[in-house]
Amino acid sequence: MPAKIHVQDLWKEYERTEQLDSAALRGVNLEIQGGEIIALYGQSGSGKTTLLNIIAGLDRPTRGRVSVDGKDLGSLGERGKTDLRRRRLGFVFQFFNLLPTLTAFENVYLSLELAGRSDREPAFAALASVGLRTKANRYPHELSGGEQQRVAIARAMVKEPAIILADEPTGNLDLRTGEQVLDLLTGRCREHGTTLLMATHSPLTCRVSDRILRMVDGIVVEEPATGEMPS
Amino acid sequence: MSVVTKAFLRYLRRRRSLSLLQLLGIACGVAAAVGMALSARASLASFETAVEFIGGRATHSLERPAGPLAETVLSRIIADPAVLAFSPVIDRRILLATGETVRLLGIDPLLDRAVRPQLAHPGTPAASPAPERFAFLLEENTVLVDEQLAAQSRLHSGGFLETSRGRMRIVGTFPNASGEPLILMDISHSQRLFELGGMIDRVDLIVDDEAGFLARWKSGFRIQSGQQRRATLRDMLGAFRLNLQALSLLALFVGVFLVYNTAMFTVVSRMKDAGILRSLGAGRREIVAAFLSEILLFGACGGILGGLAGFLLSRFLSGLVAGTISNLYFFLRPAALEWDWSVLLVSVGLGCGASILGGIFPLVELVRADPVQAIRGRTAVRGAHGRAARAALAGAGVLAVSAALFWLARIHVYFGFAGSFALLIGVSLTTGLALVFCHPPLKRLLAFLAGLPGKVAAGNIRRNLGRSAVAVAAFMVAISMSIGLSSMIGSFRQSLIWWMGTQLRADLFVGKVGGAEVPESFYREMQTIPGLAGFDRYRNVQALYRGTTITLCAVDAAVLQKFTNFGWLAGGNENWEPVKNGTVIVSESFSRRFRLRAGDTVTLDGVDGPATLTITAIYYDYTSEHGVVMMDRSTYLRVFNDRTITTLGVFIDPGNPQRQALLEEVSERAIRRGLPVFTRDQLRGDILAVFDSTFAVTRSMQVLSIVVAFFGIAGALMTLFIERQREFGIYRALGFSSRQVAAMTLLEGLGMGMVSFLMSIGVGTALAWVLIRVINLRSFNWTIFFHPAWEPYAVAFAIAVLASLGAAAYPIWKVYKTYPQMQIREE
Repeated sequence: MPAKIHVQDLWKEYERTEQLDSAALRGVNLEIQGGEIIALYGQSGSGKTTLLNIIAGLDRPTRGRVSVDGKDLGSLGERGKTDLRRRRLGFVFQFFNLLPTLTAFENVYLSLELAGRSDREPAFAALASVGLRTKANRYPHELSGGEQQRVAIARAMVKEPAIILADEPTGNLDLRTGEQVLDLLTGRCREHGTTLLMATHSPLTCRVSDRILRMVDGIVVEEPATGEMPS
Repeated sequence: MSVVTKAFLRYLRRRRSLSLLQLLGIACGVAAAVGMALSARASLASFETAVEFIGGRATHSLERPAGPLAETVLSRIIADPAVLAFSPVIDRRILLATGETVRLLGIDPLLDRAVRPQLAHPGTPAASPAPERFAFLLEENTVLVDEQLAAQSRLHSGGFLETSRGRMRIVGTFPNASGEPLILMDISHSQRLFELGGMIDRVDLIVDDEAGFLARWKSGFRIQSGQQRRATLRDMLGAFRLNLQALSLLALFVGVFLVYNTAMFTVVSRMKDAGILRSLGAGRREIVAAFLSEILLFGACGGILGGLAGFLLSRFLSGLVAGTISNLYFFLRPAALEWDWSVLLVSVGLGCGASILGGIFPLVELVRADPVQAIRGRTAVRGAHGRAARAALAGAGVLAVSAALFWLARIHVYFGFAGSFALLIGVSLTTGLALVFCHPPLKRLLAFLAGLPGKVAAGNIRRNLGRSAVAVAAFMVAISMSIGLSSMIGSFRQSLIWWMGTQLRADLFVGKVGGAEVPESFYREMQTIPGLAGFDRYRNVQALYRGTTITLCAVDAAVLQKFTNFGWLAGGNENWEPVKNGTVIVSESFSRRFRLRAGDTVTLDGVDGPATLTITAIYYDYTSEHGVVMMDRSTYLRVFNDRTITTLGVFIDPGNPQRQALLEEVSERAIRRGLPVFTRDQLRGDILAVFDSTFAVTRSMQVLSIVVAFFGIAGALMTLFIERQREFGIYRALGFSSRQVAAMTLLEGLGMGMVSFLMSIGVGTALAWVLIRVINLRSFNWTIFFHPAWEPYAVAFAIAVLASLGAAAYPIWKVYKTYPQMQIREE
């Protein structure tokens, strides 16, 4: 079976200054299979978000190859990458990034609409699956942080994507809410066989992952599966 | 509606105050443009109606090049095979006891019926009951009064009309669609009334063989078709209308800045949403559609509001425009314009056009935004300084284009207008850089005024260049226009005062241009009064020269040489010498319009055919933008055989001990004859009053531009306020009081107002120069002398301070209302 995400010798360099070497990614290689739950673990500034953005086709690498869901991003045009995000990729952000002018339902339905589906029922079902059916008509500012992140998970899951990219999904939540959100996210992914790649600097996230990829200064190293949380 | 579009449009409700400001800004801009265009249209429509009503079925009119013609011409007309019908007319003005001057048409009711059947209406001579009909024909001083005038002056059939030429009995009323107050009199009675025995003013004709007719009457007569007459009159308004349109565009131009400002805010506030949407799979097209639907919705709603407001505004402006046209060109009473749905269509088009123009650059920024950066938030602030420098560079380029356009204005005044707009755009582009340079002194000033909040306010203005620069630009444009227009009007007024001092030097003026003429017998009567030093029998008549209506003036050259001191382009009062011997002098406007200099000749259609006269001097004049040809009365009589006197200037030696008594005697005798009399000061005062009323429209547009710009500053402050709510939370955490935050907002407004004012000093002065040396010179062909004055700058300063403080009022209210709840949080 081909890998869901395949990254080969990926580099991302920003404008170089005399004092600073500004490479965010330095020859990253990784392979993620369908249905795997991966924690991309590293400190702030290690290049996690950059890697996620490149995998999502939101950013361009300086060099290297990325293939997502069997498609080489380098050969996909802007329209191809947009289409990939619409149908095959889901995104969960640290700061939730719900659209403030849309209700919880509309935020979820937005994903369906972009994927070309007009049936409203899956959006209600997705909200129900994260326990927010009764708050469908609330605006983001009327929801707690945990609830907002659950809406974001419903938004990512509703179109049944092959891959979900989550950037610090618990980074803005307290420990208990973070655990709940994490359980919900990994549980739903396992249920649907969705590949989940989570960028995190929280050891807690690593505990629920199938594999841990440690990211240090733009290089990804596979963490041995010892069952212990990384330090 | 797609959810993406919905997500954008909901911001409008969420930020109601800002939406309202944007809507009002667009509406005001559109209202100004629509109001001005509609009032011009109303004036033109009523002008067409008036010309058509008075002209009736007449295909042509025949008259002398200047003055009345002998009625013996009628026997030739009767014999002409091309003439199907004709009607001789006396067309004069008469002064009512109420002080109003009205038009009096002397007609032959039987002949006129074929030419003007609309006057053969119940109540009019041809259709009246027999006794009235006979009274109209047989009794001296019997008249028909138009219904509107009758109602307005409470006149009725059987009553009397008091005029400067005696009491007249009203034998009926008639409907008058022309709008101009009108009195009808039998032609033979009117000849006696105006001492025109055997003379008529013109003959209105219905002609079927135009070419043949023109060939037979080409010498010594001026023959115009109805269409030519309308075109001639319309051409007279050409420069006037162009200037009005340019003025109305100004408010819309300022409105575009406002739209740009709010559209830029829209982009900044939606940038993050756009980033999120891109990460969720929305394409650029969906985001562009959502943004466009938002700005087009604003454009459409603002357009509808502006259209309705413009329609109402046109009712007010029509009065001003018609008043100006009546003062400067010909009588016009604007008819109320009927509501037309196309007004809304045009208004929506203008609103959407302004919105797209204002939103195009922000839209490009939105489309080009990097989604990764966009998700992180306010990308627009980053790189704002670099952008300000680039914009200033582009501004320098636009200024260079503007200079080139001013140079090209010698070809057509359109280039001058385009250059003015380019000047404003060019300087507007430099506002960002100007704010950067102004930051250190502004910081010191605001810190001096309010301490720490002042420092922070100055910093905020500089940090949010994308926002503050556009607001400053909009405000600077409005204030500069205020300074430029006021300086131009002030300079024009001073030039006019100087001109009056050179030409209007008689001690008394009897009669009035555009009013009733002075009988020659009155002049002869004046000659019998001992002690009067001289008389100027001034004749002012409109004539055609190379298809343009110009003014012909006959004067007593020897008298003017002695008593006046004309402003000559070259030479002095010795210029009168050749005039006494048959040459002419022309106004600067005539010289520039027809490119004729001293030494050239001018050929005028005289009573005996074309007469070629030599121009020997050119003088400054502000009475006619189309040009004046002035000659001695003897030359005028030789060429035109017209003895009419429009006004009589009476000169008394300054040292004459009987001066006061003489003044009183002349006045009394004139009043006894029902002739208006003006002292020199009165006449000058009247001219200045007309001058001031002429610029009422300009002032209205000035005010509207400032109102639109006010919305710009208010919108910018509101935008900054909304954008920085999180920062306010930080200020709160640091211990800033509501009062300090309010002071900060107030000082931001004041700071922007100050920079706008400082920039407008230079730009306003430059604009004044452009208006005087380019626009006025090219539009009206006369030189206005630049008279610098401090008042326009003081007014601009007051406007800048008051408007910027006023614009801060709402954000300050919001600060007091919401500050205690502000938190340090993202949402």
